[in-house]
Amino acid sequence: MDPAAMSPPAVALLDVAAGALLLTAVLVVWRRDLPTILRIFTAHGIALGALVGVLAWAQRSVELGLVAVGVLAVRGGLLPWLLRRALARVGPARREPRPVVGVAASLLAVAALVMLAFAVAVPVVELGGSAATRAVPVAVAVVLIGLLVLVTRRHTISQLVGFLLVDNGITAAGFLTTAGIGLVVEVGVALDVLLVVLVLQVLAGRIRDTFGEVDLGELRELRDR
Amino acid sequence: MVAAGLLGAVAGVVAMTGTAWSVALPGLLPLTGLEFDVDPLSGVFLAVGGAVAVAAGIFAVGATRHGLDRPGVQAALPAFIGSLLLVPAAGSIGTLLWCWELMALTSLVLVVAEHRERPAVASAGLWYAVMTHVGFVAIMVGMLVAAGPAEDGSFVAVRAGAADLSPAAASLAFLVCLAGFGSKAGMVPLHPWLPRAHPEAPSHVSALMSAAMVNLGVYGVVRVGIDLLGGGPSWWWVTVLVLGAVSAVYGILQAAVGSDLKRLLGYSTTENMGLVLVAVGACGMFAAGGDRALAGLALTAALLHLMTHAAFKTVLFLSAGSVLHATGSRDLDALGGLRSRMPVTTAAFGVGALSASALPPGAAFVSEWLLLQALIHGLPAPGVVPAVVLPLGVAAIALTAGLAVATFVKAFGIGFLGRPRSGAAAAATESGPAMLAGIGLAALACVALAVGPTVVLPTLADIAGGLVHAAPAVTGTVAIELVGVTGVLSPLLLVAASAVGTASVVGGVRLLARRRDRRRARLWDCGAGPLSARMEYTATSFAEPLQRVFDGVLASEQDVDVSHHRESRYLVAAVSYRRALPDRVERRLYTPLLHAMTTWGRVGRGLATGSVHRYLGYGFVTLCGLLALLVVTR
Repeated sequence: MDPAAMSPPAVALLDVAAGALLLTAVLVVWRRDLPTILRIFTAHGIALGALVGVLAWAQRSVELGLVAVGVLAVRGGLLPWLLRRALARVGPARREPRPVVGVAASLLAVAALVMLAFAVAVPVVELGGSAATRAVPVAVAVVLIGLLVLVTRRHTISQLVGFLLVDNGITAAGFLTTAGIGLVVEVGVALDVLLVVLVLQVLAGRIRDTFGEVDLGELRELRDR
Repeated sequence: MVAAGLLGAVAGVVAMTGTAWSVALPGLLPLTGLEFDVDPLSGVFLAVGGAVAVAAGIFAVGATRHGLDRPGVQAALPAFIGSLLLVPAAGSIGTLLWCWELMALTSLVLVVAEHRERPAVASAGLWYAVMTHVGFVAIMVGMLVAAGPAEDGSFVAVRAGAADLSPAAASLAFLVCLAGFGSKAGMVPLHPWLPRAHPEAPSHVSALMSAAMVNLGVYGVVRVGIDLLGGGPSWWWVTVLVLGAVSAVYGILQAAVGSDLKRLLGYSTTENMGLVLVAVGACGMFAAGGDRALAGLALTAALLHLMTHAAFKTVLFLSAGSVLHATGSRDLDALGGLRSRMPVTTAAFGVGALSASALPPGAAFVSEWLLLQALIHGLPAPGVVPAVVLPLGVAAIALTAGLAVATFVKAFGIGFLGRPRSGAAAAATESGPAMLAGIGLAALACVALAVGPTVVLPTLADIAGGLVHAAPAVTGTVAIELVGVTGVLSPLLLVAASAVGTASVVGGVRLLARRRDRRRARLWDCGAGPLSARMEYTATSFAEPLQRVFDGVLASEQDVDVSHHRESRYLVAAVSYRRALPDRVERRLYTPLLHAMTTWGRVGRGLATGSVHRYLGYGFVTLCGLLALLVVTR
């Protein structure tokens, strides 16, 4: 079916879901205590699942609906649960140790990144004109915010969250630009992400065993002598 | 290897006579596929490369039997020969670049083959690796610019699209390609790898590199400049001519004062490629000025000189390899007295040296004569630049020819005649039959080219004429007759005359000597005791006058140390003399460049502090910068 012919309530729901996606991503940058970050991240995954669900409803596609349920289960349930377990294992430090860039500066950077994302995605938006394509800048902004978290945070769990934000943004962009990526591809990607998270979780444990803390700043061997 | 060389030579000869063929294998390599297209010009280079490979391959059989080759060399040599034959056969830019890179890599493996024996090999390999790859990048950039308006990368499409190329883009493409191909041909100032890498490789590899691989640099210049880009303005070719003339004079000057046999031969390669580039430059200049007949003549001279050079350089390098095998030395000051112990090698080196010195019975004389004819007949050409450049070119060729005679008299006289200057030279034994067969085959080719260049000349003239859209510039079966300008030369007659002349002089002297009564006595030795090898001329002393004359160019470093007796400072105990001849171009141009690169690298190291966040940040900032650039420029 033609994605441009989306009903008004569906468009409104889509906008809400996209807004929630962006808002939760920004909140991740704002907060510093890790349990809160994980709760926000859970909300982020649910928003992504909802976004796909709205798309499935608008297109009346059962397959896409199944994918939405899967996305919701993996990104809103499984991955946050794994992160919580990892956090419980790495020890008592529950707060992000002083970030590389302060919170206020990070939020300003986020604002700049969102503007950049909207500016970059102009050609894509002009291309389609449907509600789904209009939401593409949000997905790009989420990717950029995820990268920012990766660059500025020290705690390994924050790093994992940043990585997953990037992946969520890519997934969102995929669903918004195409009319469903296909079940097999989505399952494959989800499995990949799961594997990465498991590996990184082990890595976080090893970092803690070696250095006694979970600060990535301790890894300074990779350089020219 | 021999079979591959034979195949290449036959294919080349067939292609030279006008039977073009092409093969396209689109699926064999990703992105470009392989496309081979052999036309007469490719045929010349195929035939030369194949013939050199046959001689070097036979020599390699002997070298392997003597345990000189490692498995690595034996594996890389056929691949090198294969790529050597594939480069001129390439019919598209992608194929040419693939084969070129294969040639560079396999030859690099061969150059560093003996790195365990001598530390100089590693340094030579490094120079060669860097310069050949920078050259590769230059060729790639130039060819991509040249192929800009073309539909695809095949030479046919590039040739058709060259008309749509803007003059600035065409000039850029030509100059960048000239730098890349010129560095392969050992053109000054892109030559420093050549006198390092050619001597350090095993000798049959040196022969292949020096006699066949460098030719492909000239092939590239001709293919891109004359064929694909269709000529271009006069100043391109003036540049080629001037660089060629500088290479010729500088190369032979360094060879004349050097005393390392293989290094000397390497510099001589720079000289000969310089002469060929002079001819190619003259051809382009005449073609741009509208004088097609002279352009054809100059290009014919270039192709013939390539062939001749391949023949005598193969002989010389293989003979040097035989000497190296017998004595373990390349230093002319430690050789000598090889005539009686290695008669075949000595005879072959003599033939090669005669051919290389551009004197009448030698092979190079004919090609240099053709080149001089082209330049001299071009003198009335209109314009200031030709009026200045052509006489200077003639003078450069004359100076080169004179210095070449001195160089090869030194190489032959000091290296092979006289008394042995070291124990190793005194104990030398002749090499095995396979090695001698390889050398002999190449020497036969030298003699054949000296006696009967008319066998190949009309074909070469046809090919050259076809490239510059002119009638063949040379005809004649016994005597060479120039078409369009007056000039006749009969190589056969010349060889016969010089043979008769030499024989009569030698016979006359013998006859005169026999008439008088001969008295056998000890040679007068100034009362300083029996004559020894230490009293002989050495390569260093032979070249000393030349070094004195050209000291302004060479800037040699000498050091004379006189130590006196303790009793009296009027009595000399010992004199030591040290001389170093650093390559001046290298010192002035490359040392500052290398220094700047090292500094740049040290500064760049400051970027990598080890912080993971910083590394992530580099990527992130670059991404954001790119996106911002996209937004701004769209």
